[in-house]
Amino acid sequence: MSKISKNVMVIGGGIAGIQASLDLAERGIKVDLIEKNACIGGRMAQLDKTFPTNDCSICILAPKLAECFRHPNITLHTLSEVKNLSGQQGDFKVKIFKKARYVKEDECINCGQCIEKCPMRVEDEFDMKLRKRRAIYIDYVQGVPSIMTIDRENCLFFTKNACRICEKVCEREAIDFDQEDEEIELNVGSIIVATGYDIFNPKSLNSLGYGRYPNVVTALEFERLISASGPLGGHLTRPSDKNEPKKLAFINCVGSRDIKNNPYCSSCCCMYTTKEAMIAYEHNNEIETSIFYIDLRAAGKGFREYIERGENKYAISYIKGKVAKILEDEQRNPIIVYEDINTSQVKQFKFDLVILATTMVPKKDAVTLAKILGIKTNDFNFFKANSYYPQISSKEGIFLCGACREPMDIPSSVVDASGAAAKAAEAIMRG
Amino acid sequence: MVFEPKILGFLCNWCSYAGADLAGVSRIQYPTNVRVIRVMCSGRVDPVFIAEAFMNGIDGVLVLGCHLGDCHYISGNYEAELKMKMLGKVLSMINFADRVRLDWVSAAEGNRFAEIVTEFTEHIRKLGPSPIKNDKLKKQILDNLSATKFALCDSRLRALVARQRELTTEGNVYGNIIPIEEFEEILDNAIENEFIRHKILEKIKNEGKSVPEIAKEIKIEPHKVLQHIVTLRARGLVDVDQINEEIPTFISIKEV
Amino acid sequence: MSNEDIRIGVFICHCGTNIGGVLDITELIEYTKTLPNVAYSAGNLYTCSEVGLSNIRENIKEHNLNRVIVASCSPRTHEPLFRSTCQEAGLNPYLFEMVNIRDQDSWVHMKEPQKGTEKAKDLIRMSVYKASLLEPLEKMQVSVIPSAAVIGGGIAGMNAALTLANQSFKVSLIEKDSELGGLIRHLHKTYPTNEDASNILETRNLAESHKEIDVYKSATIEKIEGYVGNYKIVILQEKKMIEIEVGAIIVATGARVLSPEGYYNYNGKTIISQLELEGLLKENSVNAKNIAMIQCVGCRNEERRYCSNICCMTALKNAILIKEQNPDANITIIFRDIQAQGVTYEEYYRRAREMGIIFIKYLPDKPPIIKEDHLEVYNEFMNQVIGIPHDLVVLSMPLIANEDSERLAKMLKVPLEENNFFLEAHVKLRPVDFATDGVFVCGSAHWPADISESISQSNAAASRASTILSKEMLEVEGSTAEVNPDLCIGCEACIKICPYSAISKDEETDTAVVNKVVCKGCGVCGASCPQNAIIIHHFTSDQIIAEIVTYGGGD
Ligand SMILES: Cc1cc2nc3c(=O)[nH]c(=O)nc-3n(C[C@H](O)[C@H](O)[C@H](O)COP(=O)(O)OP(=O)(O)OC[C@H]3O[C@@H](n4cnc5c(N)ncnc54)[C@H](O)[C@@H]3O)c2cc1C
Ligand code: SF4
Ligand code: SF4
Ligand code: SF4
Ligand code: SF4
Ligand code: FES
Repeated sequence: MSKISKNVMVIGGGIAGIQASLDLAERGIKVDLIEKNACIGGRMAQLDKTFPTNDCSICILAPKLAECFRHPNITLHTLSEVKNLSGQQGDFKVKIFKKARYVKEDECINCGQCIEKCPMRVEDEFDMKLRKRRAIYIDYVQGVPSIMTIDRENCLFFTKNACRICEKVCEREAIDFDQEDEEIELNVGSIIVATGYDIFNPKSLNSLGYGRYPNVVTALEFERLISASGPLGGHLTRPSDKNEPKKLAFINCVGSRDIKNNPYCSSCCCMYTTKEAMIAYEHNNEIETSIFYIDLRAAGKGFREYIERGENKYAISYIKGKVAKILEDEQRNPIIVYEDINTSQVKQFKFDLVILATTMVPKKDAVTLAKILGIKTNDFNFFKANSYYPQISSKEGIFLCGACREPMDIPSSVVDASGAAAKAAEAIMRG
Repeated sequence: MVFEPKILGFLCNWCSYAGADLAGVSRIQYPTNVRVIRVMCSGRVDPVFIAEAFMNGIDGVLVLGCHLGDCHYISGNYEAELKMKMLGKVLSMINFADRVRLDWVSAAEGNRFAEIVTEFTEHIRKLGPSPIKNDKLKKQILDNLSATKFALCDSRLRALVARQRELTTEGNVYGNIIPIEEFEEILDNAIENEFIRHKILEKIKNEGKSVPEIAKEIKIEPHKVLQHIVTLRARGLVDVDQINEEIPTFISIKEV
Repeated sequence: MSNEDIRIGVFICHCGTNIGGVLDITELIEYTKTLPNVAYSAGNLYTCSEVGLSNIRENIKEHNLNRVIVASCSPRTHEPLFRSTCQEAGLNPYLFEMVNIRDQDSWVHMKEPQKGTEKAKDLIRMSVYKASLLEPLEKMQVSVIPSAAVIGGGIAGMNAALTLANQSFKVSLIEKDSELGGLIRHLHKTYPTNEDASNILETRNLAESHKEIDVYKSATIEKIEGYVGNYKIVILQEKKMIEIEVGAIIVATGARVLSPEGYYNYNGKTIISQLELEGLLKENSVNAKNIAMIQCVGCRNEERRYCSNICCMTALKNAILIKEQNPDANITIIFRDIQAQGVTYEEYYRRAREMGIIFIKYLPDKPPIIKEDHLEVYNEFMNQVIGIPHDLVVLSMPLIANEDSERLAKMLKVPLEENNFFLEAHVKLRPVDFATDGVFVCGSAHWPADISESISQSNAAASRASTILSKEMLEVEGSTAEVNPDLCIGCEACIKICPYSAISKDEETDTAVVNKVVCKGCGVCGASCPQNAIIIHHFTSDQIIAEIVTYGGGD
């Protein structure tokens, strides 16, 4: 076997990027894992439980995070982004921009004393802005690397030249306001892109009232609402009055399979709405759920049985039909107006809480990244993959995996990631 | 003084121990009563450990693992469930079943871990101290617990539990699947028998006794005692001591 | 070590004020000194800092310590660090123990410092007693045979073989048929590009001509022995037995199409299966004008609850192809849900609708009824029975598991799921791995998969296999199970219970033996053995009972 001298760069530290990195590292190949956020973990860390086994997301993710952090073959670059790429397969030159953390990585022990004292409250993106975090923060408690970060946009020292409280309370003297952004250069043999997805913002769909009606939330928000480690500690209440909701409705395909917004199918909403309804039911057996759908797409292993279980054991009714709009009554209960397919009549139904299964959309900066990397995107700005060899991008030496190339669920992303790792390894072995 | 229960917790490394750590990171406060022994999987917890805990004056035992289906080792917690079920049967004969709880805590359930510990501590506080701490009862309770331990160490009983899944789903060597109710009955009998056999052995540890004598002491019908004696003899644990006027007395011949 | 004195060093961490601010560290240190075998006990401001670590190293040497305990945060995060520190100082890493007095003590009893300190004393005492019983363990090394066997030469198998071979691993590709290619050989065109299936079959030439790939055709597997890194496979080919040795195995045996015989008056002429339609299209001999396709035939029902994943796209493909050739053709697809996930497939579906292909949903309890020249189906939307004329009815049959899956699964000691597809180790985290190390699965053997899914999975399986094949030596955990042959009676209870098939019977001695390479140290067998014949190293019954007795016995 020839000796391997080149590194592989993996862009994006979600489940796909993590899996690809681990496979390569185990394979004896050195990996540079580039993550934009302060912690790796991606969307999976935000999820409560995951279908089709409904096991707890962080339980199965956390050991992988730790492994990634500890593996001698993986160099983790957090708060980092790719700025420039030149060269070709076997010899890429990459410029990485690394934001200052203002916390010394080797000193912070994640004790959280700084968080307690920091006076600046900021909307928490990880918790879908459902609660506040501080200007010094960690994305989520199990996050890796398990150290703090100061958010320069909000920290009072940077904005008003005041405060510096964290510096005083940190016993490890880990706070370092003198840190500066850095530019790093890497030389890698091949690249895996695993930058994942964003969520469609349903505010633009006026008729659904999201943003105006407090009791209309998105599925990712709901994921945080029911999570044991989320803002409600797992005790589901609805936003308007903190009452426990009994009647839930999910609307599938919000912003997808819709020519005006995104014509494509988001692949996992049918499954995750069922899952969220199941978890809600497990919290409170009085909950009844209606799921409004176009087609129930559940072709994966054990998926069809999963839907059946939802129907038979978790008080879920599946209603085929397109929702026309959502109204609201005085108690702020959302009312769904939809066309009943049996009678073609327009019907109304009142719920306590409505959850919108908003589609996965490409990352905001997908096009920019595609330009930097010199790879093509498809009509919707997902990275363009070969029709039969889905990990292969339009450029030699660059491979794709996970939801950055097409909406997909975790099992598919993990398969995709391992596959991309094989291709990236092959590329550096060849040349 | 308020009674502060002594509680032992077995936590599996991957979920419940992580959940307990999360309670810490989230600074969720709970009673100080529990001491944790970390095991790799809830399936590692041998029921004998729990008998041992009670013999050593522990008031309550918690066994926590990953939720069913989430075990890091695929099926370890299912095995734990079977073992704890059997243990529950044994302990209910001596009124200790209430002092053990098997439950599931995921790595995301810091809150749940704290809740379980709090509830269980209160539960044991209500039950009061283990009767072993009562000087008057101590001897009898210890006897009972050692009979329990005997039953839990018994290879036949252990073999039954170890094979439960196989016997009730795949079938025995002849391919016959044993219905779960029938299995439960076999298990119940086995438990009761081992428990009684140990009591018999205890009674004839130092001096030979006749069947009617033993029957009277442990309050069980003589013909049943005789059956057990026959079994114990076959296992080489008991032998005839003397024969007085055609009535044999029996004595234990092996340290158990 | 047994004759040597046991000398335990206990390092108690303040973690700044995280522990020190709640628990009384001085008291803990003094208390620890009173415990048996404790040769040294001291506090550390931050044990995990470089200062703290070198402090451990120095004291191991200075006080001749042969056991180390750190009472601090969680072993889940810090044990690896402290273990390697011990190792650096020449101490076997398994002679280290950790006590969690932060995450599970000072942080959760912030308002009860005294009780918290008492708890810490108990925990440290328990650990000291356990530490006295710790034994040094060695991580075992096993060599790896750097080649793989791929079973099944369909698109998944061929591509897995190529991916590995391109990384210079030797591969044996074993196919039971007389040629490679699998199902694709019978297809006309492939979605979503509608190109000739023969394009994809190019892979066949690449696989056959690759210098690292040995192809065995008309070959069956007779026997599989061994464990990760070291498998022996016996292949039967033309009455010859061939033995090969490999480090990893990939299962890519695909699936077969359910026979349409007995469904909807199937007659093979006017009522045919989708696979037969592929054949007709290949010969360009479809002359029907009114074509109806029925989806989910023989699946999503009581007998076969699953959805076969590929049939909707296949029906769309063939409908589009016919419509392109003959725009006057009337094509109706009678479906339950159209499975066209994702970006490209949904677009394909839209294209079919735009071309004028009709879609009618049916309910499982009101399936279509085929009459002489038309077909009747009840539709919810219109709440009425619709008549559809037809001169050709095409039945979409699901993929089902191969007949010989069970045989292969037994040889590999891997499980099947209820429909007899191979069951992976974990749906999400190890989708192409088996629980048994060194064996992987891809393609329709795992679940009905189309070409791109099969290829994606086969790359993944190759990647997973390469993580083993690339190592000269596999290092395995020291804390595994071990059977004491003197106590074992060969009852085999442990063999059945081990989730990783790590235990087997030594036929000569008639006792169980644990393969340390395969054992993951979960301890389930140890808790189950009727004879108490199994030792779980590092979590031995003696050690655990020592902790129990110490806690119970103390006051
Ligand atoms: C009617 C129809 C139309 C389809 N159209 C399309 C399409 O247009 N596009 C698309 O993407 N997909 C299509 N598919 C799906 C596609 O065929 C499968 O996804 C793909 O072939 C699966 O590949 P595989 O390698 O997993 O299985 P297979 O192709 O079935 O290959 C498995 C191979 O393993 C061999 N084998 C089995 N058991 C053993 C054993 N014990 N030992 C040794 N060898 C063994 C078999 O002989 C076979 O050669 C279609 C399927 C059907 C039924
Ligand atoms: S300096 Fe900034 S981060 Fe530190 S406490 Fe003040 S606001 Fe928070
Ligand atoms: S070892 Fe653990 S407890 Fe000690 S300073 Fe480090 S983080 Fe804190
Ligand atoms: S369970 Fe125990 S006695 Fe039975 S075979 Fe295994 S090791 Fe031997
Ligand atoms: S410890 Fe677990 S993995 Fe190892 S042999 Fe026993 S049951 Fe199998
Ligand atoms: S690992 Fe948690 S129960 Fe098995």
